[in-house]
Amino acid sequence: MSDRQRDFVLRTIEERGVKFVRLWFTDVAGTLKSVAIAPAEVEGAFAEGIGFDGSAIEGLARTYEADMLAQPDPSTFQILPWRGEIDPTARMFCDIRTPDNQPAAADPRNVLRRALAKASDMGFSFYIHPEIEFYLLKSAQVGPEGPIPVDRAGYFDNVPGGTAHDFRRRAVSMLEQLGISVEFSHHEGGPGQNEIDLRYADALTMADNIMTFRTVIKEVAIEQGVYATFMPKPFTEHPGSGMHTHMSLFEGDNNVFFDPSSQYHLSKIGKQFIAGVLKHAPEITAVTNQYVNSYKRLWGGGEAPSFVCWGHNNRSALIRVPLYKPNKANSSRIEYRAIDSAANPYLAYALILSAGLKGIEEGYELPAETEDNVWNLTDSERRAMGIQPLPQSLDHAIRKLEESELAAEVLGEEVFSYVLANKRREWSEYRAQVTPFELQQNLETL
Amino acid sequence: MATLSELARLGFVDLEGTVGKLDSLVSKVGDSGRSAFASLAKSASPDQALNALLDLAEVDAKYLKKLLGKEASSDRLVMTLGASSALIDFLRRRPTALKVFEKELVLPNRAELDMLFASAVGAFETAEKAWVAIRVCYREQLASLVAYDLTASNGEEALPIVAAHLADLAGAAIEAGLSVARAELISSKEHGNFEPGEVAATRLAVIAMGKCGARELNYISDVDVIFVAEPSAELETARALEIATRLATRMMRAMDANAPEPALWQVDPNLRPEGKSGALVRTLDSHVSYYERWAENWEFQALLKARHLAGDPELGESYVEKMQPFVWASSGRDSFVESAQKMRERVMEHIPTSEVDRQIKLGPGGLRDIEFTVQLLQLVHGRTDESVRVRDTLTAIDTLAQAGYMSRQDASVFAKQYRFLRLLEHRIQLSQLRRTHLMPTGDSALRQLARSINLKWSAEQLLAHWEKVKLEVRSLHQKVFYRPLLSAVAKLADGGVELTSAQAEDRLAAIGFADPKSALTHINALTSGLSRRAAIQKQLLPVLIQWFAQGTDPDQALLAFRRLSEDLGESHWYLRMLRDSSGAAERMTQVLSNSRLATSLFEKLPEAAAWFEAPTDLIPTSREDLETEIQAIIDRHESQETAAASIKTIRRRETLRLAIGAVLGDLSLGQISQGLSDVTAAFLRGLLSLIGETRIDLGIIAMGRFGGEELGFGSDADVMFVYQPIDTDVDSAQKIAEAVISDLKRLAIDPLLEFELDLDLRPEGKNGPVARSLDSYAAYYKRWANTWESQALLRAQPIAGSPELLTRFLDLINQYRYPEALDNSAVIEIRRIKARMETERLPQGADPKRHVKLGRGSLSDVEWLVQLLQLKHGSKHHAIRTPKTLDALSACVAEGLIAEHDARVLREAWLLASRVRSASVLWANKRSDVLTTDRRQLDGMARILEYPRGSASALEQDYLAFTRRSRMVFDRIFYEA
Repeated sequence: MSDRQRDFVLRTIEERGVKFVRLWFTDVAGTLKSVAIAPAEVEGAFAEGIGFDGSAIEGLARTYEADMLAQPDPSTFQILPWRGEIDPTARMFCDIRTPDNQPAAADPRNVLRRALAKASDMGFSFYIHPEIEFYLLKSAQVGPEGPIPVDRAGYFDNVPGGTAHDFRRRAVSMLEQLGISVEFSHHEGGPGQNEIDLRYADALTMADNIMTFRTVIKEVAIEQGVYATFMPKPFTEHPGSGMHTHMSLFEGDNNVFFDPSSQYHLSKIGKQFIAGVLKHAPEITAVTNQYVNSYKRLWGGGEAPSFVCWGHNNRSALIRVPLYKPNKANSSRIEYRAIDSAANPYLAYALILSAGLKGIEEGYELPAETEDNVWNLTDSERRAMGIQPLPQSLDHAIRKLEESELAAEVLGEEVFSYVLANKRREWSEYRAQVTPFELQQNLETL
Repeated sequence: MATLSELARLGFVDLEGTVGKLDSLVSKVGDSGRSAFASLAKSASPDQALNALLDLAEVDAKYLKKLLGKEASSDRLVMTLGASSALIDFLRRRPTALKVFEKELVLPNRAELDMLFASAVGAFETAEKAWVAIRVCYREQLASLVAYDLTASNGEEALPIVAAHLADLAGAAIEAGLSVARAELISSKEHGNFEPGEVAATRLAVIAMGKCGARELNYISDVDVIFVAEPSAELETARALEIATRLATRMMRAMDANAPEPALWQVDPNLRPEGKSGALVRTLDSHVSYYERWAENWEFQALLKARHLAGDPELGESYVEKMQPFVWASSGRDSFVESAQKMRERVMEHIPTSEVDRQIKLGPGGLRDIEFTVQLLQLVHGRTDESVRVRDTLTAIDTLAQAGYMSRQDASVFAKQYRFLRLLEHRIQLSQLRRTHLMPTGDSALRQLARSINLKWSAEQLLAHWEKVKLEVRSLHQKVFYRPLLSAVAKLADGGVELTSAQAEDRLAAIGFADPKSALTHINALTSGLSRRAAIQKQLLPVLIQWFAQGTDPDQALLAFRRLSEDLGESHWYLRMLRDSSGAAERMTQVLSNSRLATSLFEKLPEAAAWFEAPTDLIPTSREDLETEIQAIIDRHESQETAAASIKTIRRRETLRLAIGAVLGDLSLGQISQGLSDVTAAFLRGLLSLIGETRIDLGIIAMGRFGGEELGFGSDADVMFVYQPIDTDVDSAQKIAEAVISDLKRLAIDPLLEFELDLDLRPEGKNGPVARSLDSYAAYYKRWANTWESQALLRAQPIAGSPELLTRFLDLINQYRYPEALDNSAVIEIRRIKARMETERLPQGADPKRHVKLGRGSLSDVEWLVQLLQLKHGSKHHAIRTPKTLDALSACVAEGLIAEHDARVLREAWLLASRVRSASVLWANKRSDVLTTDRRQLDGMARILEYPRGSASALEQDYLAFTRRSRMVFDRIFYEA
């Protein structure tokens, strides 16, 4: 941390008359947590951290190590725009430390930091930009037909006077006020479904941004009297909400995925990175797609990336290599399409990055490109082509994760076993449900 | 002219050629060529100097003739040429520089140097021309200084003067570079749009750090600097910082950018706050607040050398003034010596092995060792004593001696060695003017170097002297830092320094003693009096204290050493060992400061100290030897009680021997558990034989880990008893057996090293009789044998009783432990018991991941899996019939019952869990089946397990990962196969 940033924070708090500062951090499940402190406590928080009881936070501390410290990162200081000018409130993201001042093993931000440090040791920095999809609903109430979307429009539809349009305008402006640049926003395929693309940033900043993004979207929804959800698949008949993520590696100022002389301008490192992500994709899916509901999206048909393959212009592939734009060497990138909007971004990006780096380290061979829509192939055809499916349920994904040395190493043993236990619990609770499907199918006939 | 042998004696190498070259020199510069001969003989490399003279004669014969004409100027020129090929190149490039040799150098002070550089630069057209002027001026002054250095009557005495002057020269060059930068910014818009008024209002000071800061610079070295800037007048701070940053950058270019005259050296600003990623220039307040909040220990130590070097003097001085308090508070910070030492170890690790022996600066016995010791003393004592707050090493040594922190004698030896090593470094760098701290290789380079230090020396003599100095330097750290600790409490005969208690406590606290007051009391007790012991301990304690401080618990170790020493008193061998065998003493301190178990056993058996001297004494005693010894005791003693006491002493002694071997890493886990099992078996056999009951034949069957010869420190001994009546009826036999067992238990009680005989694995467990006859066993197993009892029998191994009885017992149990066929319900039963155990037997609230015995993938998982395989396949595959877990596992691999890669995962987890369990007893002298979360204890255990210092998290991660993998294998095979 630099004292310039710290001084900036302390000065801004004075100048803007900030009344509360919220310290944000994320638990292992990916839920944002917040502790509010008074401006007078901020200086001390920088120097020594703020103590809190970690055992109350999911997966953060072992019960016998309850005392944890939240240390704010001054580079993440922002005034929260939805609080208005009365009692201005600011926020900073925190790193979690143990009482002996070591980074907490179970702090997701620290997990991502460790993965980035490893990339940095190899000479790389990791940049990403996500396309975040979500649904706007009339309310959190579920009607007889399921959730009720705010409109009935489709992909890129301009809905005159529509809620969604106002909503996006307001959300984008709020994000910009928080220093988060928006690349693009539009109406998505499902009714009430929207997409907002964030401008690329380094992975740690982006993970922070995604956490902020979710809060902003929820706040704007409240302001406008609607309800926003990042649930991966709220409607059986409409597309789910994914978080397709574009990724690139830089060495200094150079994009190392770019090579003018090869196909798709994709360098050897780029190919090995893709090979790494593909190879390890099944075992990290329980993190990139962490809920029972996530698998309804992954296996819901349409363009969902259910199979482990890559392609250039293939909208059904797990990894897509987008069209290269002439003279934009630095925008060479790959797009990972499995991850959904409900993932814990710190853990998910740490794993995807590490899988890719593993491909580079071990020199994995990239399998052949898949040009067909893999959904149209038969099972036998896919087997013949060596195309594996992603896990088909949370249960299946947990089994893959259990055997993953990569995930254990990247997450650390503590987080790894916490995630597994947590997901096993979710699966067993889900399995105990009697669903409307069963009632419909069976009640009258059996 | 001289004969060839005369030329050889004078130091020429190319004899034949030299004759011709001398003639040719005379032909060019006349008779003064002959007088140059005397100068050549004084130079480091006469051949190199002569060749250079011939070259220079081509350029300016007339001026050369003048220089060679006078002895003094001839010496200055020729000795410089003989020592530095880099300066020869410079003179060829800039022959006008020859003028510097004409007159003897009167060392200019800094102000004079500044004027000299200013006039050399003058008004300039382009920045590049100004840079050239600065560099040429610098090199002329350097050549002149080299001549001064080489012609000085005593190089070691001249050294501090030369080093200080080099720092001033660097300062003057930087000052000139700054003026050029200012002029550039005002006259041109190329580097930004700045108004002259703004530039003038920007105050910038350059602070020298490191050797330049201490005015003890090398011939060639990076110049470490820090920039501080402030606005004056109306200028905004941000603007001033922008301009100052530009000024600083341009100044650095003046020193190191490419130009027609080569660069001087690198200006290195990376000691600044936040290093490379921090702002190049900061305001004074910003520096202060950085050090108040963020700085690391080493950054404070770096500030020790800070000095205003160039630019705004008032600003520079106030920087230094504001920083001083930080330096002197730093040694009060936690673990400051440890972190300083770690830094130093890291530096050492980065020296390529091929260079370690050639390193003058960083290698063992190098300059860094001296500087480190001196700075450590300064930081420890400078907190309270302002007199030692000086920058350069030689003055520091002097003031430390004056203030009484170092003896006069040590100080003078230290200073002498420092001067020698620095001189060596200077001469090496001088040759090529390259930044190097390596002893050259190659005969001619070494020869030239030897002559440049002492004309009479050969290369071999130089190397021999250097080796001697290195050796002395290495021992001095210990002598200078640790020995005076004793002087606070004891009179030392050697006339060394006397520290006050407070001063000694400062030093003890700095090296990691938590309670320096008590430590001093112990030191006092160990050294007071006139006994031989006190005298020897006075000699030895300094080094012992250093070793204690490197362990995990120095306070405890010192106390234990005191007790040991008081017990052993004047024992002749003990004193001799301490005095003569430093290897033995070091290993002893290692044990005392890393293992509470060993320490507590030691206190009861101080004679064991003798083992450290003879490595063979630390080899575990064989079971046969133990039994012979025990039998002799039984034969000798009249009373049962006294014999039992002696036998218990043997058990304690052997346990200590194994504990020491374990802490020192001399013994493998296999040797340790074998040893402990042997001791336990011999102990029980001995006691049984002592009781001497002849009416029954009583056998002892070792079970569990004891049966598998896998005992750890603090393990219970699981056993069962079987008997056959010899001379009595069946009913009495049972009573007799019970009486013997109760005697055995009574005799085995040892409050000094607990012994727990565990009979719970017998038929019917706690409810069953403590012993059974062979027939009773047969009847019981026939009617009742449970699967879990068959399983327990897998590890049964007889250790006492008549061969006949034992054979019959084994025949009996083999039917049950290696059944013809294991029916499916039995397999299910075993699985169920195991599954239930995992939840029920685990202590309340324990984390299953950290339980080394019953936890995920730990000991019981591996053992149950192996036992299941044995039950299933033991009847057909005789190779797997062994009570030892790892042997059975390997046999299962050989018999194709489990894949090797699975077995490897299980083996690794079992070994690590066993070692962790042992280490925890060794470290804490407490048995615990849970991997602790206490960082300090983890660190201590990790050290016993031979991890490097500070590996608490590494051990934890390894343990969790190994057991997780093992659990996956277990799950797959045990529950599903």
